[in-house]
Amino acid sequence: MVTAARPRSQRAKEIRRHVLIYAGLSPYILIAVFPLYWMAITALKQEADLYRMDVIPVWFNLPPTWKNFDYLFNHTNYGAWIVNTMAISALVSVITLLTAIPAGYALARLRLPGAENLGIAIFMTYLVPAIILFLPLSRVVSMIGLQDRWWALVVVYPTFTIPFCTWLLMGFFKTVPAEIEEAARVDGCGQLGALVRVVLPVSLPGVLTSVIFAFTLSMQDFLYALAFVSVGDQKPVPLGVATELIRGDVFFWGSLMAGALLVGVPVAILYNFFLDRFITGITGGVVR
Amino acid sequence: MTASPNGGEPEGGARAAAVPIAGRAGVRAWWRTPTARRLAFGYTLLSPAILYVALLVGAPFLFSLYLAVSDASVGDPFAEFVWLENFKAAWESPTFWIALRNSILVTVVAAIFKSLLGTTLAFLLLQPFRGKKLIRGLVVIPFTVPSAVSVLGWKWMYDSQFSVVNWALNRVGLISAYGTEGWPIWLGQPHLALAAIIAVNVWRSFPFTAIVLLAGFTAVPQEVIDAAKVDGTTFMQRFRFLVIPMIAPILFVGLLFDTVFTLSDISVVLLLTNGGPGNATQILPTLAYQIGILAGALGRGAAISLFLFPLLLPAMILLLRNLKRREW
Repeated sequence: MVTAARPRSQRAKEIRRHVLIYAGLSPYILIAVFPLYWMAITALKQEADLYRMDVIPVWFNLPPTWKNFDYLFNHTNYGAWIVNTMAISALVSVITLLTAIPAGYALARLRLPGAENLGIAIFMTYLVPAIILFLPLSRVVSMIGLQDRWWALVVVYPTFTIPFCTWLLMGFFKTVPAEIEEAARVDGCGQLGALVRVVLPVSLPGVLTSVIFAFTLSMQDFLYALAFVSVGDQKPVPLGVATELIRGDVFFWGSLMAGALLVGVPVAILYNFFLDRFITGITGGVVR
Repeated sequence: MTASPNGGEPEGGARAAAVPIAGRAGVRAWWRTPTARRLAFGYTLLSPAILYVALLVGAPFLFSLYLAVSDASVGDPFAEFVWLENFKAAWESPTFWIALRNSILVTVVAAIFKSLLGTTLAFLLLQPFRGKKLIRGLVVIPFTVPSAVSVLGWKWMYDSQFSVVNWALNRVGLISAYGTEGWPIWLGQPHLALAAIIAVNVWRSFPFTAIVLLAGFTAVPQEVIDAAKVDGTTFMQRFRFLVIPMIAPILFVGLLFDTVFTLSDISVVLLLTNGGPGNATQILPTLAYQIGILAGALGRGAAISLFLFPLLLPAMILLLRNLKRREW
């Protein structure tokens, strides 16, 4: 009897432990997810269903509708905003890779004098707040004639993606074994050849991570877009949604939430997958 | 950024050391050594990144120092030196003091709540359980959604009449009905608006605190904990004398990062209240934006944004020291 009961009580204990943990976590999950849920349900509700407090608002009281999405694509510049956002992020990623890969490699592998301090100095610029830089940068932007064009953001976003991705890639390149690079050199590769043909393919996960961060960090910005771009069809999505779907006192809540979600959710999912890398990137492997 | 000959590299070291004594021919010979070629190659690879950062972060930073002591405005490119006039003007304006106070208040109060929520969440996530990956993914959502997007969601949740927050509070009987005194108008009443801003700040970054802490906790080797257990230590002793000292650096970096992010974040206030009602929720970044860009007084705006710097500087120096201590 006792021997039979034993595993069952072990199991019961496990279950109880799980129930306790889930119970502890559920308020956090509720707090974290509810605003997003509220946005999603707002995006799918009919106008009349939004402005009723007499019924339970957390579910549909009238059938869901695609009308808000329809409005977004047919009566606003949303299509253009998506194209702008994608183009900005893609170009920023290219600029970032072209500068951060060589820099990260040089700092990690070439035993340059002062490499440590240089690496830290580059990384620290990631922390210089946009709010201190945006006034002088607005001068720079108007000087090169990019005021009110999304190209301005292509020029400005690398100021935070290059420091971050250089730091991240430096960490990656350090983990590539020196032997494979030496082997390539023996086989007749030049220094650049060894980087392109051997080190880069091995560090592909690091490069991919950098692309994701350059992409998502570009989409996180709001201040630079707000300060530099005020023409309707030149805006990136977050700015366009926040400025064009509010007319005076009138908020197009359904379309506003629809537009925000369409870009917010993909970014959140991408970012989530690489969050650990992000944390390791900024804490710089302090604990190892 | 010239290549220094004493690169401390074994194979080329002996020849490099001889360079200063040798003449022109020696210099030319040195340029052909592997060390020299490596250094030249290295600095060439570094130069695009350094140039970019120097031109678009370094130079603008210096330019903003210049703007702050000039009377530059958007329409007038010929600025004159006004020395500390802009700082003085800021110093004498009551709105500036409100903004400064709010900046500090929001950062400090939010940090306290973030630490509480973050630590408890990190402890929960440290336990082994089923579906951990999924739950972790759900819990970090606030940090990963672009802030402008989530703040818009909050603005709708705080709506003066159709607020889902108020609906819920009303249902559980904590507040009275719409239209009465007891119906909070979150973004319309000074103290409530400030609380609402702090709440969104906390919501946005407590997952970050939790994940940083979690990274710290999991970095403590289990053997060390086990060894201490064998020695008969209590949980609190282990926590106080083993875990905390070991994760202190990572905690510290996480906290500093969060401080920098929170102090310089503009989208929460700008989208929720735009500094209102009145100037009750003004923070330094929004004030700098309104004066520098909207009102076009670049010099004034730059001076106000630079007041952030003394607040940030201690955090950045501490961070720098921490990064320099790390193992290479």
